Amino acid sequence: MFRQLITLTLLTLIAVESAVLAADDSSRDLSNESETLFVRRIEPLLRTKCWGCHGNDADAIEGELDLRQLDHLLAGGESGEPSLLPGRPDDSPLYLVMTRSSEDWSAMPPKQAEAITEEQQRWVHRWIETGAHWPSSERQTEIANDYADRWSAEDGVTVQTSGGLDEAWTNRRYKPETLWGYQPVVRPVVDAADGDHAAIDALIDQAMPAGLEPVGPVDRTTLIRRATFDLIGLPPTPAEIDAFVDDPRDDDSAFATVVDRLLDSPHYGERMAQHWLDVVRYADSSGLANDFHRGGAWRYRDYVVRSFNDDKPYDQFVIEQIAGDEWKPDDPEMHIATGFLRMGPWELTGMEVPKVARQRFLDDVTNSVGETFLAHSLQCAKCHDHKFDPVPTQDYYGIQAVFATTQLAERKTPRLKSENVHGFELERYLDVRRKEYQRILAELDQVLLDNALQWYANNGLADDDWREIVDRLQAENHSGVFNEARKEIGQGRSEQEYPPKLVGFTPQEFGRERVARKGLQALAFEYDTYRPFALSVYNGRTPQVKSINAPFRMPDDRMTKGELEQGHILTGGDPFSPGQPVRPSVLSVLGDIQTEPIPETIAGRRLALAQWIADPRNPLTTRTIVNRIWMWHFGTPIAGNPNNFGSTGKPPTHPQLLDWLAATLVDDGWSIKQLHRRIMLSAAYRRGTEPVDRKQWAELDPTGTSYAVFRPRRLTAEEIRDAMLAASGELTPTVGGLPCQPEINLEVALQPRQVMGAFAAAWTPDPLPQDRHRRSIYACRLRGLADPIQEVFNTPSPDFSCEQRDASNVTPQVFALFNSRRSHARALALANRCLNETDTDQEAIDLCYRLVYGRAATADQQQLIQQHWQQTEQQLPDHATAWTQQPTEVQRDAVEENTGEPFRFVETLHSNKDFVPDLQPTEVDKHTRALADICLAILNSNEFVYVY
Amino acid sequence: MSTNGPAGETNLRPHSQRLSSQRLVRREFLYGMGASLGSVALTAMMASDLDAAADGPLAPRPQQAPAQAQRCIFLMMEGGPSHIDTFDPKPELERLHLQEFNRSGEQKSAMESGKRYFVKSPFKFRQAGQSGADMAENWSHLAGVADDLCFYRGCQVDSVNHPTAMYQMNCGNRFGGDPAMGAWVTYGLGSVNQNLPGFVVLPADSYPQGGSANWSNGYLPAHFQGTPLRPTGSPILDLNPPAGVSRQRQRQNLDLIATLNQQHAAQHPTHDDLSARIANYELAFRMQMQVPEVLDMSDEDQRTLDMYGVGKEPTDAFGRKCLLARKLVSSGVRFVQLYHGSWDSHDYIARAHGSLVSAVDQPIAALIQDLKDRGLLDTTLIVWCGEFGRSPDNGVRGGTAYGRDHNPKAMTMWMAGGGVNAGHTIGATDETGAQAVENVRHVRDVHVTLLRLLGLDDNKLTFYHAGRFKQLSQFGGKVIDELIA
Repeated sequence: MFRQLITLTLLTLIAVESAVLAADDSSRDLSNESETLFVRRIEPLLRTKCWGCHGNDADAIEGELDLRQLDHLLAGGESGEPSLLPGRPDDSPLYLVMTRSSEDWSAMPPKQAEAITEEQQRWVHRWIETGAHWPSSERQTEIANDYADRWSAEDGVTVQTSGGLDEAWTNRRYKPETLWGYQPVVRPVVDAADGDHAAIDALIDQAMPAGLEPVGPVDRTTLIRRATFDLIGLPPTPAEIDAFVDDPRDDDSAFATVVDRLLDSPHYGERMAQHWLDVVRYADSSGLANDFHRGGAWRYRDYVVRSFNDDKPYDQFVIEQIAGDEWKPDDPEMHIATGFLRMGPWELTGMEVPKVARQRFLDDVTNSVGETFLAHSLQCAKCHDHKFDPVPTQDYYGIQAVFATTQLAERKTPRLKSENVHGFELERYLDVRRKEYQRILAELDQVLLDNALQWYANNGLADDDWREIVDRLQAENHSGVFNEARKEIGQGRSEQEYPPKLVGFTPQEFGRERVARKGLQALAFEYDTYRPFALSVYNGRTPQVKSINAPFRMPDDRMTKGELEQGHILTGGDPFSPGQPVRPSVLSVLGDIQTEPIPETIAGRRLALAQWIADPRNPLTTRTIVNRIWMWHFGTPIAGNPNNFGSTGKPPTHPQLLDWLAATLVDDGWSIKQLHRRIMLSAAYRRGTEPVDRKQWAELDPTGTSYAVFRPRRLTAEEIRDAMLAASGELTPTVGGLPCQPEINLEVALQPRQVMGAFAAAWTPDPLPQDRHRRSIYACRLRGLADPIQEVFNTPSPDFSCEQRDASNVTPQVFALFNSRRSHARALALANRCLNETDTDQEAIDLCYRLVYGRAATADQQQLIQQHWQQTEQQLPDHATAWTQQPTEVQRDAVEENTGEPFRFVETLHSNKDFVPDLQPTEVDKHTRALADICLAILNSNEFVYVY
Repeated sequence: MSTNGPAGETNLRPHSQRLSSQRLVRREFLYGMGASLGSVALTAMMASDLDAAADGPLAPRPQQAPAQAQRCIFLMMEGGPSHIDTFDPKPELERLHLQEFNRSGEQKSAMESGKRYFVKSPFKFRQAGQSGADMAENWSHLAGVADDLCFYRGCQVDSVNHPTAMYQMNCGNRFGGDPAMGAWVTYGLGSVNQNLPGFVVLPADSYPQGGSANWSNGYLPAHFQGTPLRPTGSPILDLNPPAGVSRQRQRQNLDLIATLNQQHAAQHPTHDDLSARIANYELAFRMQMQVPEVLDMSDEDQRTLDMYGVGKEPTDAFGRKCLLARKLVSSGVRFVQLYHGSWDSHDYIARAHGSLVSAVDQPIAALIQDLKDRGLLDTTLIVWCGEFGRSPDNGVRGGTAYGRDHNPKAMTMWMAGGGVNAGHTIGATDETGAQAVENVRHVRDVHVTLLRLLGLDDNKLTFYHAGRFKQLSQFGGKVIDELIA
């Protein structure tokens, strides 16, 4: 206390001293400098970096130090020392904490990531040095007005939005270069005489580092493999390779034919859909506690495949996914399209507060629309105005209000003619499981009825009433007699007077009851796979539902019953803290391109939002999609973060190229296929992968973004599996249809996995090889059970939008590709095919090379392989060892929840009784088995897993 | 190539999947990216290339702040153990037992609302050790090490659902997909032993709700993912080829791959990834031999096995896990997480919690004592907790089958070992145990404190991802000073 008094006295002296000095001219200059520095630099710095913990919340001021007013700074906080000594920056804690290198004062702000930059430190240093003047708020406004023009030129521009939670945010300045995404797309003038693809090359050449020589065109054999994997995700067949290599026409014409053929392939849509599903987080289950199946999800997946195959204009593709049901309510396909809005993990269990779960959906869909179509992660504006981008919280809740009347349902949606309904007989396995669960429950019902009588005896109570009720219910053929009888007898009795639920169960019985009961619930969702329902939405009031344990159908009273949700800014993102009301709106920074305001009627909001997104003048939309498509060809996007065009994302390396592509897309009637053609016919796409001069390339293009060299890539998990199936001849090329269940690692398939209150059923593969050997995009994706091989090769988790695949290189990939049954099975089938389709060993080797590598073996390689083949064949035993077969039942051990004791049950794997295995080593001769070893090596080699 | 933040700051470690030097590849331990897979990636054979340890992704790094604890054993009692029936006695419930009341409102879930009644604990309590720690009597072994424990009753979480609460406890974020604490710690401190994964998980027979995302590396590089050691079957998936493939044949096939790859690489001298992939095949071949050795327990004497309760019921399964945890941390593993459950006793809590405690009590006490005897306890942080606590009341679930529902507002966790304020109970809940009322902190502060005990600063342990620097606590938090000695 004394110390503070002394400090204050000293400060008063200093203040007096400054006042005296202020008479001096040079000192007036200093104080002017100090004041303007404060307004321009210091106040904004304190506000963004300090006030969060030192001022804004008067009830929670860190270290008792309030940095909003000068006198508090001069007085200091709990340390008792002043934070600021005017004129003495190097002794001022305010400055010292910012340097993060003081021995006496800990670094501030605490987060390393928010450290004050050196330039900012210099401002603070100078401000203190010049006397740390803190003008009154009137004077601050005056200074700001006086300097407005000059500062605007130097410090950036303000942006018109719907406004932030405070004035300072609304008026803040942005560096113009961080706003590139919002600028209108301007088609650059390109001097390119030789057609449109030449424009791409002209724009790339313009930006080419001086002196860097681009690589020439790659050979045709390499190019067709590159183009084929790029467009259809499969290897070219030997016949396709021959046709291209032998095409006598010039490279441009010959390659244009290849590109057109690939764009016409039904597999083109599958490959593009895989990219799209990464972004939208497709899965066949809901995730979280129950991980229930989403039976109708596959219809959305096929809708995406069809849309790409039909070259649906992209603006239409956008509208259909956000608001197809509003746009064309009578078209069932449009209901399927809105499955997009349902892609996030979501469920409502009885454990969760319904309003919180509802809010989870609203937050999810708001962010997903932003990321997918606008390259904006909107969730950053959920609790506060966006820290870096012109996205106010108001806009976040404005866009969210568009979805306030959007409700989730599995809607009855008739089958389309274009949908593949093959394999629907597999539903019978669900029937078998359902009957089994029902049988278990009936059996346990009898146990409970017996235990109930025992309970009456043990408790010395009369059981006459109980018996009478039970007899009657049994006569009525009631199922679940015990529970029903409990309900009846409980009327007017206290709980001590009748048997408790699940009376007298052993841990075994507790466990079995749960597994059967929860199993029936899960089956109800799985049945939707085979039934004409779509994972979809409808417009209406929010139904009052406490938990969802069966597929939810659209209610008849949707317009009258339930809450009509009103849009609000939610304070801190909390659904129980509604703040200022908001109207449904678009992103206000691009509000000027909105033609009609979003209606506040129950229906029609989404369509209005979608039309704003799909407006050709919306620069985020067009840039977002062309940036993605560019990345799908080159591996690198033009703007480095395809889901984030804000100032924290990487800016475009070739902004003019990005705009040219965006403008051209619109001019081409939003045709994606036309965009592929333009990109693939460019010289940049057809370059080789080895630089002309390695050293020069490394020096002149250190980030590898010049496109002087084409960058090789590793095949994705899906391409590896599909290409192996294609090479072995086992691939079923059917497009669309039910999710298939390939064989996955058996230990993982049978691994017990908890879902709410019980265990999920084991993964059972489709019994017939032709069903399970479909392309990977059709493999059933359960959020709670990933195929380990796909995962280790970087198939992304469907919980978050994946803007760009990783291609990691880790040791477990070796176990997956070299040791797994899957690889051994493909190698065996490939060997068998090569021998069956040829007459000599040499031809067999050649075919293997052509199928896997897309080229013939050289003479040296022929010799190497033949030698290895002979050596292996000599060593192999005459009789092959049989592989482990799919089991027909599996024993489950778990800790039972009611008793905490272990329990065990046997799960029957019904479909495995009909399982037809792939080609087995015991079915082929030694010569074939030896070749299979070679095929395994070839499928593991770098030449297979990389595309050049 | 480092991952750069907006201000040019870099992440702690290089984003190694973009690196391709052979050295780095050799440190890539994880098996199965987050999958339901098991794996160890132990590479005892790598002891020969010592230089690799110096700069690999798992190379040890200095602590960011002085701290005693250098490693962590995290005992995750999934399902939500009841604080009221274990370490936080509530005599008031004796009086309220079976009193009924109604609860409603839109902030209630179906589970919490409707007709409720209070439930007293079926367990008797006593005060254990010189510190007089509250413990239910059935924790008979743990009572012997009571003075080594620091109980915390102030933690609150945000979710009442298992998977989201588990994600929050393990990864900071309720919705999964973020790095688990073990991944953060390994990212921050690396691992002392380059021949073992830095972050090992010992799951129960069945995977917890939310699955392997509970030990995910999230957006951190793949090396920091938790490596589950499968309790049965192959500890790592596909560690070995299908039956009938001899080691000799494996070797020959590898040689063929190597020859094919060398020829190919000669034509692609600029393509760096190739050599890394070649090296991986050699490493994998050697791992097939080495992995089983690490899991071998035959060198433990009978007294040790008995102490952990290995070989007898009901302690065998968790006893083995605790013993393995000791072996793993003794050999330099940075973070081991053990799962046990499910503690989700909605009904029959007397029986359920009774059996659960009897399965873990002796093994956990043995683990603490054993580490102490070996002089390792001072440098090892042990954490025991669930994803939330349980309610003092129950819905009407049928007569005498008393249990408890989920409760995110109150729970008990305890810590032992390096740097913790042992012998103290910090924080308190109200008279029925419904919610924390003293020293109440959000779980993010617990995370910040646990990191601090391990010499890490949550505000510095960040990774630039999706537009911002991310951290375990999500948005930053404060150390709970009372938990630290």
